[in-house]
Amino acid sequence: MLKRSLGEKVFNVFNLIGFFLFTLLMLIPITFVIKTSLDVSPVGELQLSLLPQEPSLLFYRLVIQDESVWRPFMNSIIVTVLGTSFSMLINALGAYTLSKKELPGSRFFIYFLIIIPMLFGGGIVPSYLLIRALGLIDTLPVLFVPNMASGWNMILIRNYYWSIPQSLGESARIDGAQEFTVFFKIILPLSKPVLSAIALFTGVGYWNTFMAAVLYIRDSRKYTFPVKLRELIILGGDSEKNFEEMMMQLGLDPAEHYLTIEGLSSAMMIVSMVPIVLIYPYLQKYFAKGIMVGSIKG
Amino acid sequence: MDSSAANVSYKRNEKKILNKTNVMLYLMILPPLLLYYVFHYIPMPGIMLAFQRYGISGFKYWVGVENFQYIFGTPFFWRAFRNNWVFVFFSYAFVTPAPILFALLLNEIRVKWYKKTVQTISTLPNFVTWVVIAGIFIQLLSPSRGYVNYIVQFFGGEPIYFLSKPALFPWLFTFMRIWKGVGYSSIIYLAALAGVDPQLYEAAVIDGAGRLRQTWHVTLPGIRNTIVVLIVLSFSHVLSGLFEPIFVLKNAYIESTAEILDTYIFELGITRGKYYLATAIGLFKSTISMMLLFFANFLSKRVTEDGRSIL
Repeated sequence: MLKRSLGEKVFNVFNLIGFFLFTLLMLIPITFVIKTSLDVSPVGELQLSLLPQEPSLLFYRLVIQDESVWRPFMNSIIVTVLGTSFSMLINALGAYTLSKKELPGSRFFIYFLIIIPMLFGGGIVPSYLLIRALGLIDTLPVLFVPNMASGWNMILIRNYYWSIPQSLGESARIDGAQEFTVFFKIILPLSKPVLSAIALFTGVGYWNTFMAAVLYIRDSRKYTFPVKLRELIILGGDSEKNFEEMMMQLGLDPAEHYLTIEGLSSAMMIVSMVPIVLIYPYLQKYFAKGIMVGSIKG
Repeated sequence: MDSSAANVSYKRNEKKILNKTNVMLYLMILPPLLLYYVFHYIPMPGIMLAFQRYGISGFKYWVGVENFQYIFGTPFFWRAFRNNWVFVFFSYAFVTPAPILFALLLNEIRVKWYKKTVQTISTLPNFVTWVVIAGIFIQLLSPSRGYVNYIVQFFGGEPIYFLSKPALFPWLFTFMRIWKGVGYSSIIYLAALAGVDPQLYEAAVIDGAGRLRQTWHVTLPGIRNTIVVLIVLSFSHVLSGLFEPIFVLKNAYIESTAEILDTYIFELGITRGKYYLATAIGLFKSTISMMLLFFANFLSKRVTEDGRSIL
């Protein structure tokens, strides 16, 4: 039944080859970084090889052992864990209130949390001045507290609550349960799909915290991982000296091992991608489930 | 207590706004309200800085539109403004169509595992921070060890400092944006494509339509709504969202094409402490954004079937 013309066959072959090349284009940059992170050979001629010439895990050792690198890593973990937990708790609770259509003031909440903030904002300077006045500069909470509450996420969660049969809550209420009990005992367990989806996306967002850290963090002990990474990538040349000191502290002879800033930053890039890759299968599960469509429909 | 009396008191209780149930519900939404109040509403009046200056001893005084006159008189402001619109052009010319094309082509692939693999690999970079993406490309384009310069040298050229060339930057940046986002952005189009009624294709085949004509007459109309809605929605934030990648990639050599309003505001306000000038630019930018938002809202009512608005 499926009769295919020559033109279609040619197109199909080219399409398959095209996507194969496209996939290579996506993969090669990443394999290149993996190679650089494992290679301790001196920079010589430009080469095309995919394998490191002198393979070594030294750069990964530096990531684990050097305080200026692992501390930002820990900071990122703290921000991700605390930020995601608080944010989910606050938004899931707030969304429950938003799901009560008859509650007096529910229209006000939408204006207050979504529409007005969308239209008006002070901009980064007034926000910066506020954070400074609150004494939050150079503290870790500044990286997650200001954006913990999210009107959009609350709307997404609320829409899901609406799909839960009302009768479930009603019967509990007749048995004398209060709203908090209804929420924690009935609504929350039933909302796992939407909550885990939003938690994953929120978590990725906190893991990648960069802008807030650039704005509000000066103290390098409070850096997040991406900020430390940027410092190495951009200011690589300037910190070459520190790099030698770093190796001496670890008992490595700079003359013996040829280590480059590129190698260290490559190792850091790989390390920062690992958590994303680990949760990726779970993230993927939720792509199709209308999370995005829902967010666009608001 | 007899039951009817209990009923009456229950009803009376319902009528009061501050009954026990409602108070609990209000308590539940209190944390987000407080956080929004502190971090969104308190800074709002700070926009007045755009019309003020600091005196010698730190007190503020009003200067009217003087700050605006000053910024409109500096070439740096206009440079950032122009670059911002150049990136808007590149967004709509390349970054927006790329995932549509990607979805259309991927949709033609009938081998399931192949399709799935391509999608899995191409979606991943969306979740990786721009710092890492920039780091990857900086290394890849590096004159001393990058692959790209190997190829340049192979064909007899001298290594090129790609990321120090102002004229190249918008192109390279657009490439990186597509590389990072094309897989993820295509998901919504692929979902729309999956929703196209297969009977329409059968009918088209019976009418003698080849693959190309099927795409033109069935597939594209099927996802037209999705495309239009997404484009309209994107109007309101065309001038934002590029701070992070530009901030990471920008260097002194390419400022002439890389500096945008957001990075200029940061530089002026946070790095150099000229709060009032940065706020004036911010206000100028958000005024344009707000106008675009209303325009998008107006368009959205017209283009969506149910006349849905954004606001």
